[in-house]
Amino acid sequence: MKLLIANNSGYPRIGDAPEEQELRRATDAWEDKRKSDGELEDARDAVARKVIAEQLEAGVDLPTDGQVRWHDPVSHLLRRSRGVELGGLIRLYDTNFYYRRPLVKGAVRHREPVLLEEFRFAQEASAKPVKVALTGPYTLAALSLDRHYGSRRGLAMRLAAFVAAEVEALAEAGCGLIQLDEPEILRPSADWDIVAEATSAAACRRGSAKIALAASWGDAAPLYEKMQKLDVDILGLDLTYSPGLPERLKAGSDKLLALGVVDGRNTRLEDPRRTADAVGRILARYKKPFAILMPSCSLEFVPRSHARRKLALLGSVRARLA
Amino acid sequence: MSREKLKKLGIELPVIPTTSVGSLPKPPALVKARALRRRGALSSRELRRLEDEATVFWVRKQEELGIDVLVDGEQYRGDMVEYFAENMDGFKPGGLVRSYGNRFYRKPIISGKIRWRGPITVERWASAQKLTARPLKGMLTGPYTIMDWCFLEGYPDRRSATTELAGQLRREAAALVKAGAKIVQIDEPAISTRPEEVGWAFDALRAATEGLDAYFVMHCCYGEFHRIYDELRRLPVDNLDLEMSNSNLDLLALLRERPLGRDISVGIVDAHSRAVEDLAIVEGRLRRAVEAVGPERVWADPDCGLKTRTVEEAIGKLRVVQRAALEVRKSLGSSPAVK
Repeated sequence: MKLLIANNSGYPRIGDAPEEQELRRATDAWEDKRKSDGELEDARDAVARKVIAEQLEAGVDLPTDGQVRWHDPVSHLLRRSRGVELGGLIRLYDTNFYYRRPLVKGAVRHREPVLLEEFRFAQEASAKPVKVALTGPYTLAALSLDRHYGSRRGLAMRLAAFVAAEVEALAEAGCGLIQLDEPEILRPSADWDIVAEATSAAACRRGSAKIALAASWGDAAPLYEKMQKLDVDILGLDLTYSPGLPERLKAGSDKLLALGVVDGRNTRLEDPRRTADAVGRILARYKKPFAILMPSCSLEFVPRSHARRKLALLGSVRARLA
Repeated sequence: MSREKLKKLGIELPVIPTTSVGSLPKPPALVKARALRRRGALSSRELRRLEDEATVFWVRKQEELGIDVLVDGEQYRGDMVEYFAENMDGFKPGGLVRSYGNRFYRKPIISGKIRWRGPITVERWASAQKLTARPLKGMLTGPYTIMDWCFLEGYPDRRSATTELAGQLRREAAALVKAGAKIVQIDEPAISTRPEEVGWAFDALRAATEGLDAYFVMHCCYGEFHRIYDELRRLPVDNLDLEMSNSNLDLLALLRERPLGRDISVGIVDAHSRAVEDLAIVEGRLRRAVEAVGPERVWADPDCGLKTRTVEEAIGKLRVVQRAALEVRKSLGSSPAVK
């Protein structure tokens, strides 16, 4: 069984060194109208190349573009869709990170692929296959303010069609791994009938791409059986929040697993030996051709220097399991 | 009850007192001076002179606008968590992380035993209070938010770090009260983020404030307060300060249906938009709050600290808050002070 190392989703777009802050400066200058749209895009391109290179240097097999062009994981996807306006800032779950809440005022329409060009650019810059992560329909619906559909199901299913259009465009362009981020499904209030239906609808045009469903920032242990029934190929699990999950995983998995074994929210570096032991126990009865090791969530929540170390640590864990 | 407490403390305020949440923008000269100081190109004495000058400006400006309860504007602070981390033992500097858009902050690391070294905010508060006869709030960041907005390395879990912080911050709150602060605001914007932790987060707040002779305000913002609404009833403070305009006053329905039994400071201007809202909009928000909560319970202020605005934008926002309060007071036919 092969162990692959993936980034989860985001990666810090700036670092502490002055030379790592080009994008911050360029964005400031663009906001003050001292840089053009084209110059800002050039700065974003340069940073996307750098963060991909950093991931590859750290030993990652499946890098992302770090989502370095995104304001946040919610508004970036919906910012140009019909029927949606962006509202005020609101905290993203229990992070100290804020997203612009979409106000759904009319029928949501997918006008054109949002992530396709970002993927093409990233893939050209990467010698290894690029993974794309995007927020899934159930979470998008929960984090939006609905003033049109009148029901969670109505909005979630419309957003599932929106996500399906993104998935289809990415799959046709050659993206082999598309991750749907669905932290909302770990909330006690999650409606699993809608979760299952929306996930299936979002993934239905995936072609030969594999679809991962990743759920961070909550305890997935009580929901593990339900997650196994979802129409996806890979389950992405945040082991830093789910103390009971390793026990459940020992029974094996019908789906490929992507294990979030290093904490993307904290600077404390995990002990590679202990982490390797834990992964070894989890995968003892795992019968699939490969599994993925990754951070528990986006690495944008730690400084760039720590993001590099967290990814390199995954390489140490894999080496111990070889 | 809260009004009675204020009276006992010797503070008379009009109906719908106005205030601001804490931080106010630094004038460009001070921003530049702080950057120079970081590079060692400016003396600490010169920086202090500029900070004091900016503090005087903001105290005078708030008085001129007619604001009832003032703040010192935090001209000497950077980030609300980093400031306390820099002035207590047990922290080390962390790297830059993004909070939204193109905004980044240095997230400190709790790396060892947390200890209060001595008064952090008291001397600044006292020197600002001397500038005005109006009450000026003491401003602290709360234990839960400091814990949550730091990386956690030096304690085994979130609760133990928060409990330790509460004990240490109590010493700061006590020092402020001893120096004469009658109103102390504790900023806990993170408190709603993990409903399962609210119980011990409130215990920590209680440990930090209980028995201290001051009117305590808790400010929180940009969270999902409906998820912890019922818990808010046992909040150990006199005044709950909520961002509301950014969230379309969503919480007013709950406040009307299930009153919290304490004063509510209502954010009636958006702290993150550059445009200064029209008086009619701001007044409308305040009227809705007064209808829901009752005039005797409502304070008016911006959603959050205004430090990310320009000086002119912040003045405009404070002015419209004050004008809205005056209009609503007028229509209530209230006398200048609460009887």
